[in-house]
Amino acid sequence: MSPVTVAAVQAAPEFLDRDATIGKVVALAEKAASRGARLVAFPEAFVPGYPDWVWRTRPWDATATVLYARLLEQAVVADSPACDTLAKTARRLGIWLSVGATERDQTGSTLYNALLHFAPDGTLAGRHRKLMPSGGERLVWGAGDGSGLTTIEAGFGRLGGLICWENYMPLARSALYAQGIDIYLAPTWDNSEVWIPTLRHIAKEGRTYVVGVTACIRATDLPEDLPGRADHYGGAEDWLSRGNSAIIAPGGDIIAGPLTGEEGIVCAEIDTDVARAARQQFDPVGHYSRSDVLRLTVDATPRAAVTFRRDDAEVPARPSAGSAALSREAALTPGQPASLPAEQR
Amino acid sequence: MTTLRIAAVQASYVLMDRDATIGKVTALTAAAAARGAQLIVFPEVFVPGTPIWIDTQPIWKGDEDWFALLADNAVVIPGRASEHLAEIAAEHRVWLVIGVQEREPHGSTIYNTVLYFSPLGELAGRHRKLVPTGSERTVWGMGDGSTLRVIDTGVARIGGLICWENYMPLARFHLYAQGVQVWLAPTLASGDGWIATMRHIARENRMFVVGVNPVLHADQVPAGFPGRDRLIPAGYLDDNGPWLEEGNTVVVAPSGTVLAGPVRQREETLIADLSLRDVTVARRHLDPAGHYNRPDIFRLQVNTSPRPAVIESGTIAAISQLNGGSDEYHASDEHARA
Repeated sequence: MSPVTVAAVQAAPEFLDRDATIGKVVALAEKAASRGARLVAFPEAFVPGYPDWVWRTRPWDATATVLYARLLEQAVVADSPACDTLAKTARRLGIWLSVGATERDQTGSTLYNALLHFAPDGTLAGRHRKLMPSGGERLVWGAGDGSGLTTIEAGFGRLGGLICWENYMPLARSALYAQGIDIYLAPTWDNSEVWIPTLRHIAKEGRTYVVGVTACIRATDLPEDLPGRADHYGGAEDWLSRGNSAIIAPGGDIIAGPLTGEEGIVCAEIDTDVARAARQQFDPVGHYSRSDVLRLTVDATPRAAVTFRRDDAEVPARPSAGSAALSREAALTPGQPASLPAEQR
Repeated sequence: MTTLRIAAVQASYVLMDRDATIGKVTALTAAAAARGAQLIVFPEVFVPGTPIWIDTQPIWKGDEDWFALLADNAVVIPGRASEHLAEIAAEHRVWLVIGVQEREPHGSTIYNTVLYFSPLGELAGRHRKLVPTGSERTVWGMGDGSTLRVIDTGVARIGGLICWENYMPLARFHLYAQGVQVWLAPTLASGDGWIATMRHIARENRMFVVGVNPVLHADQVPAGFPGRDRLIPAGYLDDNGPWLEEGNTVVVAPSGTVLAGPVRQREETLIADLSLRDVTVARRHLDPAGHYNRPDIFRLQVNTSPRPAVIESGTIAAISQLNGGSDEYHASDEHARA
């Protein structure tokens, strides 16, 4: 495969404003694409902004509650106009566009920290919901199931990723390595200096390119009318996140970044053949695994809280004695509560 | 809570000389114990040193004498060398953890093994490297899953993996799930990339990490060593520099912050006081085998049974009889099938 350019966009969201932030994604994706990027990655929960207040407010005080309501309103829903704008941008620019978003189901009130991968054909090719939020994040985000632990063939390598401290889940990483991941996205809010060694370790462990991408936002980027702003946020020196974006080669060498303290697009040229050849030395799911000793099973089944069944379509036009069971199950479907046995009402 | 004083010994071995190298272990352990160390860690295959030829020459090219030397100087358990190491631990009342080239009493396969000796002079643990790396596969066999155990010293739970085993996520997870607090990583790996890995692993399981390397300059290879000129060809030194082992010993805190080292190009024993409370406190943030795990999604199965080359049916029948004889081994069935 020939080398391609990948871009990590370090930027500030338009905080808690989904459509304005998506406008910024579109503009920055255009800019990255004009530099030749075939893959453009945005930070964790970039749309409509990482809920930083979970680390500053008391968990359920009035400010936290009103901010949650705002986040819920501004979250991204799959199959919505917001999602459509991102998909069309990927198609128009002919790029893979990976965006961190706070996401929810159409009718849901639980938010997920998701990574959305839009393909150059304008489809939502992958969605991964963070499996385990960290600390204060557990007060705003639910936990995803194993169905998002996928990788996608991008044409220039297999693409996938984990979000922030999920990158400290050895079994989740193994699930991606097992799918032959070549380009590993690690959107994060982690600003610590040791985050870079973690990216380098993953690159060496999986012999994969690693694209770390972090938001860059300070208190002066927040809207004036943000609830709790005066109580919880300061001025230009109050960084919510300074940024930490970097791109690492499969051996663990840093090839771009880390960029801190400013917005910018971190670009690097990558070559999947290099990653695959590096596995001569180490392959965690091949010659350097011990499947006779250590065997991992991953449940990749989507796990909805409630699954609805309707069997009435299968009820024959002329009911016979044999269809009694079917009829009883049909009676238990939503919309017919009156037919539930009395003790179940 | 308690504090554990550890010593990470970066030192030179006497190449392929088991007894002379154990002499160094004796002196270095005494020195570290005099500084109050309770746990003293030596590098990967320190006794009797690294089989340097596997990287300085093509595989199997004129290595007969060297392999013979290695086999003669390997540590056999039980044997005089391992008894001697146990005595050193007992004499100084310390935990002594040391990498050795090990073989079975009648075996010709060498294993890359780490031995754990208790302050009572007992061999409390033994880990054979699961997968050797690259050219190492031409001198070392593979361990089984029976040696992946964390040990409780009474002060801390200690355990670890050898060199690039540290890149095996499943093996690490298995030890994390056993509550390891102080991670020992004897290694030959040089450079900053390895330090990044030590820091990552510390932060991944919020524990202390002790990486320990040997250090050896080309001039330290004894003048009379067989085939010395071929062992370290001039071209190899031109490409790689005069340090056959550069050293990289480091101690890392549960936050991923480097506490001591990395030390390179000299012998040095790093001493560090590890407060176990730091592990407990850090795990409220992240505990990969606890609150940050998803056991509904991930299920890791580990086969911890010893896997000897042969299980004699007579032995099984005997064991079965001891157990009441109910599920006796039907050797006759196999004959019938044959």
